[in-house]
Amino acid sequence: MYGDAGAKLVGQAKRAQTLTNLPPYLTELVRTITREVRDLDKDVADLLEPFQGSFHPSDDQATACTLLVNHLSMRRNKRCLLAYHRVRTDRLEELVWNSYDVVDLAGQQVRDGSGGMNGGGSGDGGTGSLCPQEEDYMRQYSDLLAAYKGQWTDIDLTGSLEPPRDLFIDVRVLKDAGEIQTEYGAITLTKNSQFYVRQGDVERLIAQGYLQKLS
Amino acid sequence: MSYYDVDAILTDSEKVPCKFELEIAQLGYLDNDPAQPLKTGTTVGLPLWLAELLALANRAPSSSDEDAKSFVSLNLPPALSNEVMSALKADPRAVPLRDQSHNFYGLGTRMLDLFEEAEICAILRKTFVTRAADIALHARKAGGAEDLGAIAGEDFVRGMEEWERLLFKNAHDGVKGTKAWMEGVKKH
Repeated sequence: MYGDAGAKLVGQAKRAQTLTNLPPYLTELVRTITREVRDLDKDVADLLEPFQGSFHPSDDQATACTLLVNHLSMRRNKRCLLAYHRVRTDRLEELVWNSYDVVDLAGQQVRDGSGGMNGGGSGDGGTGSLCPQEEDYMRQYSDLLAAYKGQWTDIDLTGSLEPPRDLFIDVRVLKDAGEIQTEYGAITLTKNSQFYVRQGDVERLIAQGYLQKLS
Repeated sequence: MSYYDVDAILTDSEKVPCKFELEIAQLGYLDNDPAQPLKTGTTVGLPLWLAELLALANRAPSSSDEDAKSFVSLNLPPALSNEVMSALKADPRAVPLRDQSHNFYGLGTRMLDLFEEAEICAILRKTFVTRAADIALHARKAGGAEDLGAIAGEDFVRGMEEWERLLFKNAHDGVKGTKAWMEGVKKH
């Protein structure tokens, strides 16, 4: 029946809300639903065709009812599709606020494979689970957020809300990250080396999984 | 309830029995038989999103002595039938609501928008209040002794529908949150 595919999609969206990882985009199912809408639209056009634009619902009630059913099915499908995408974009925005970007997500899977760390980061998807439009959305949202954050240079809006216990922490380098500039000069981060650095300088590198915090 | 609310959408796909009031040639597929026209008087289970508007849409009377009627007439879904209601009246805690419908209260609210059933309304309200106390209890237990609580209330917890699950989760998180906070206070 029409609308069944939509219900399935929303069921998946519901499931996705409880998962820590963003499940892959359901291209096939979305396509099925859009095709269904197109079919329904064609049906409506075919039904109305003989009336030449002068259709009176009271004259032909069976047709009127069929049209109503088709219309409602299309409307329902639209709602299902929008809700599914909304759940996903909400999730992507959350990821962006947590300082993930599209490239991070791509690298995440590789890192997870080589002994995941980083306290089970809030949402590691891997770009495999995004569709091209979603990648685009995420990229543009990152730009927006960066522009927004740029207005305040002395406060990091996406910074951690936990007050740090120590200003300086020990970190271990998990993979080469090149040279970074700090107040105390430049440090070269080479794999497996250990540093005692200011937390604020390396927070982002920790979030991205380049460094591991040692307690 | 918002347009994008996933739970509201899922509630909308709960099926409601509808009786068609006229014969429609093209809608045979609703009764699983696309080749045949849908006959007058056929009862089909239609999802709420379709049933509600079909029942509300008025069609013009075909002759002057006939009243305006709708395409279908709605009936109460089995989840809100007399049997279920009397079971709930007897003991709200003993009925696994999830078996009736995954969105039992959601369905109930939607149906009561359409039907004037003061009694069902009263029963549902009493059921929710009675069960809510139990849910809070189970949520608290599940937080403390993980396995003990799970075994004691397993059947009940499994029989919770979506609203109740949400309530359970919130209660559970609340207990956990308080505990974490208390520990933080002691540390400093």
